[in-house]
Amino acid sequence: MSPEDTIVAISTPPGRGGLGILRLSGTDACLVAAKLLRSIPPWEPWRASLGELVDDEGHTLDQVVVTYFARPRSYTAEDVVEISCHGSPIVLRHAVERALRCGARLAEPGEFTLRAFLNGRIDLAQAEAVRDLIESTTLYQARVAAQQADGAVSRRLAPLKSQLLELVALLEAGIDFAEDDVSIAPDAELLRRLEPIAAGVEQLARSFQFGKLVSSGLTLAILGRPNVGKSSLFNRLLEQERAIVTEIPGTTRDLVSETCSIHGIPVKLVDTAGIRSTADRVESLGVQKSYEALADSDLTLVVVDASQPLEPLDEEVLARTQALGRRLLVANKCDLPTVTELPGAMPVSAVTGEGIDRLRQAIYDAAVPHLEGEETGFITSLRHEQLLREALAALDRAREAIHARIPHEMLMLDLYSALRAVDTITGATTVEDILDKIFSTFCIGK
Amino acid sequence: MTPSFHESYEVVVVGAGHAGCEAAMATARMGLRTALVTLNLDLIAQMSCNPAVGGIAKGHLVREVDALGGIMGEVTDAVGIMFRLLNTSRGPAVWSPRAQCDKKQYRIKMRQVLEGERNLMIKQAEVVDLVIEDGQVRAVALRDGRVVAAQAVVITTGTFLNGLIHCGEQTYPAGRSGEPPSVMLGEKLRNLGLRCGRLKTGTPPRLDARSIDWSRFEVQPGDPEPTPFSFRTEKIERDQVVCHIAFTTEETHRVLRENIHRSPLYSGQISGVGPRYCPSIEDKIVKFPDKARHQIFLEPEGLDTNEIYVNGMSTSMPIDVQAAMVRSVPGLERAEMIRPGYAIEYDSVDATELAPTLEVKRIRRLFLAGQINGTSGYEEAACQGIMAGINAGCAIKGLPPVILDRTQGYTGILIDDLINKGTNEPYRMFTSRAEFRLQLRIDNADQRLTPIGRRVGLIGDDAWQRFCAKQERMARVRQFLNASALAQRLKRPEVTIEQLAPELREKLGIEVKMLELKAIETEIKYAGYLAQQQKHIEQLKKAESRRIPESFAFHGLPGLSREVVEKLERVRPLTLGQAGRIPGITPAALSIINVYLDLPARRGLMADG
Repeated sequence: MSPEDTIVAISTPPGRGGLGILRLSGTDACLVAAKLLRSIPPWEPWRASLGELVDDEGHTLDQVVVTYFARPRSYTAEDVVEISCHGSPIVLRHAVERALRCGARLAEPGEFTLRAFLNGRIDLAQAEAVRDLIESTTLYQARVAAQQADGAVSRRLAPLKSQLLELVALLEAGIDFAEDDVSIAPDAELLRRLEPIAAGVEQLARSFQFGKLVSSGLTLAILGRPNVGKSSLFNRLLEQERAIVTEIPGTTRDLVSETCSIHGIPVKLVDTAGIRSTADRVESLGVQKSYEALADSDLTLVVVDASQPLEPLDEEVLARTQALGRRLLVANKCDLPTVTELPGAMPVSAVTGEGIDRLRQAIYDAAVPHLEGEETGFITSLRHEQLLREALAALDRAREAIHARIPHEMLMLDLYSALRAVDTITGATTVEDILDKIFSTFCIGK
Repeated sequence: MTPSFHESYEVVVVGAGHAGCEAAMATARMGLRTALVTLNLDLIAQMSCNPAVGGIAKGHLVREVDALGGIMGEVTDAVGIMFRLLNTSRGPAVWSPRAQCDKKQYRIKMRQVLEGERNLMIKQAEVVDLVIEDGQVRAVALRDGRVVAAQAVVITTGTFLNGLIHCGEQTYPAGRSGEPPSVMLGEKLRNLGLRCGRLKTGTPPRLDARSIDWSRFEVQPGDPEPTPFSFRTEKIERDQVVCHIAFTTEETHRVLRENIHRSPLYSGQISGVGPRYCPSIEDKIVKFPDKARHQIFLEPEGLDTNEIYVNGMSTSMPIDVQAAMVRSVPGLERAEMIRPGYAIEYDSVDATELAPTLEVKRIRRLFLAGQINGTSGYEEAACQGIMAGINAGCAIKGLPPVILDRTQGYTGILIDDLINKGTNEPYRMFTSRAEFRLQLRIDNADQRLTPIGRRVGLIGDDAWQRFCAKQERMARVRQFLNASALAQRLKRPEVTIEQLAPELREKLGIEVKMLELKAIETEIKYAGYLAQQQKHIEQLKKAESRRIPESFAFHGLPGLSREVVEKLERVRPLTLGQAGRIPGITPAALSIINVYLDLPARRGLMADG
């Protein structure tokens, strides 16, 4: 095995699909691909061409599209050949096996990305984002992951890191070039510079609240007495974008749940519909189950029937959810003559679909924390959040140290701690980076 | 002695600058017959540039050289004419001594010290060739035809390798102004296949003190109580001189701007890379056009000379421009230039060719130290000199090498940086290069390094006793402070050790130096920060303790790119920690290496090849 050895893998998800892509990366990618195909290299780089996948005897297995990415302008920065087949698992597996016999090696999980990272094509944050891209379940998640793969988190962090670096350089210059014409930065100046860095880091750390929603979604419980139309509402909300809904296994026996996408956020709807048939007999038990679902959910839809007067059970549900705060009131059946006017309730009709779009928007608004700044560049990884919190704690310590008039060479430990945490996301800062900053900022040279 | 050799020594040191003097003194004191070969006996330890030793981080280096048993500190203490302890507005970790020296006296004193060492012979000659057999250096050939055998050779040629001086449009080969360069040895090193670079440095004009209006400048005095460089110097009792601070004017900048096309820096005449921290005055004007004035220091070159060094005005401008530029400074209107400034380009060797002992990896017993390795500064040269000397001595004596790590001193940091990263500009030490700055103080350099100097034979009995007494003294103070309530009191921000000093003196009955007291104060006051740093030191030590066997094959490790492998193969790091400091080696690559260090299969592979 050598570092340049050629790796191969099926890069589309397992199972039968419309297309299946075989990817080869490494010095011999073309050589190996040529043996699999009735098509002779050199192929024109970055241009798709038709080819035929053949077996050991030279029989045609599939008509394929071959694309050759010449290094370093490829995903891994090595020679890459992608063979796009017709997605039959048997054909794909056969092709992989042949590639292995022709000298390729089966790629480890994530090895293409690892190579891209090791070859300096992408940074650490990008490498992690690519992993998220592969694992993403909704289109919006995919879009976010794609943005991060493009370096959105690194980009968002870049100005903060740069400011932090400037502050470090300012203090280092004061220490190392005290003989030069570099004045020692006054405390007020240091605090003034520290402020926006801490604020920016905190904002980005806070964006995890949103990022978390995007990556893991939220749970929405639909609550109400029987016959207010919870089930219809449940189905109505699921209706759109059903194609990308995934069945969540492990649903409880008593509660029905399904995931839909609201403005790209995966929303797990929990309905009490499953206990409706037994609700007549053990009504209170049904309500009890609903309250349990409510305890586990991020947001609650409280549904009443607008065409009927409020019943005691409605009142109880309203009273018990009042204190929770995170609830939306829905007055269903607004297509019928209105009998109950519930203040703050949103009129919808699960039957006609009236008001559903507004409800979806309301769910989104209620679930998604207010975001300052653009929607790009928020973080979706718990690890990034922890690192940013670490950086923030270090910046806080530095602020206290300035107030306590701790000598600069000491308080710099805190600034370097913060920088290290940020570096873990974006890649390392070297002494050279700091010196570059010093020499470009100050006229050093006694 | 092999008959084909005319003379034979155990060690030959080529070059008697700041690196060469330390190297030769170290091997001689280790009991090895040493020849120090220099082009000019009268210019031993010449201060080619500014008449000062020390400065921030550089002062740390001198203290370390001294703690190891070197001589730079004592010589400086003997001939210093103005001493300042810098950075005292901060904590003791970044305090650093600096001294203006009498240049001529420095040479005389150094020569005296060298001549006092019985194992050391000083020889005036030019080394033009190296005799290498079976991958090991065996002798040096002199220009006069003699061949001198040696078991180890240390090359410390400074700026002399293919040196080329620029002064305006005029260029001429030289090692320093007025001295011929060393061309043949430079060719030899290139022919050995060592990767070389081309660097540049510069020096300012010197003025005649009698032609300067001294009333026009701010006076910069020395400290009332000079801080010695050497742990072995008790007190410095000499009258001190002063320096003066002047400023450039708009007129200075205009003269330079209008003549910028005549600067070899900007005309393309100079290809070598100069230091960013020591730019020429024309560089400063171009790069910082908004700065209304630049500080310059007028420093005396000695007590019995009128020569004044214009610090901050390094230049390679033509002489007429230099004169106009100097005279544009208020107070220098009638200044006479004694020597013009100039820039010098010279060959350096890529220090990634070196092992941590400063031995050339592919030629055994050949050591390089000082400016030849891409550094700048007397102090940077001296610390390499002593380490090269110690390791040459250890190699000959069959002792294990002495390698200082980054937690032990600036010396360790400097060598580690050089051998792992090389340098593309003249390398100067800064405290910001030290990850563990708080622990690397001038007051504890002896604690860190003197036991090592003692072990290899550079610390005599007197110095050792003095060292032990100091450690004991400090231990007593610490013990006393901790046993009494004083340590707790000291933790309060408003309480300083100065306030407690009289009480300490009275109760303990011993005299403790203020520098030592301040160090103890810092240990107590900022224990939290020191503990935090200690944690990082332990992390580093852990990575350093993960040794990479010499036979370990980087090629063939899955997941390592060809570039990463090339970088690793070039440096051949000895530990995982060292591997991590090579530019371009990612954390991912490190974890791959880390995994394979443990794999028995890998060990089997290594046994094969």
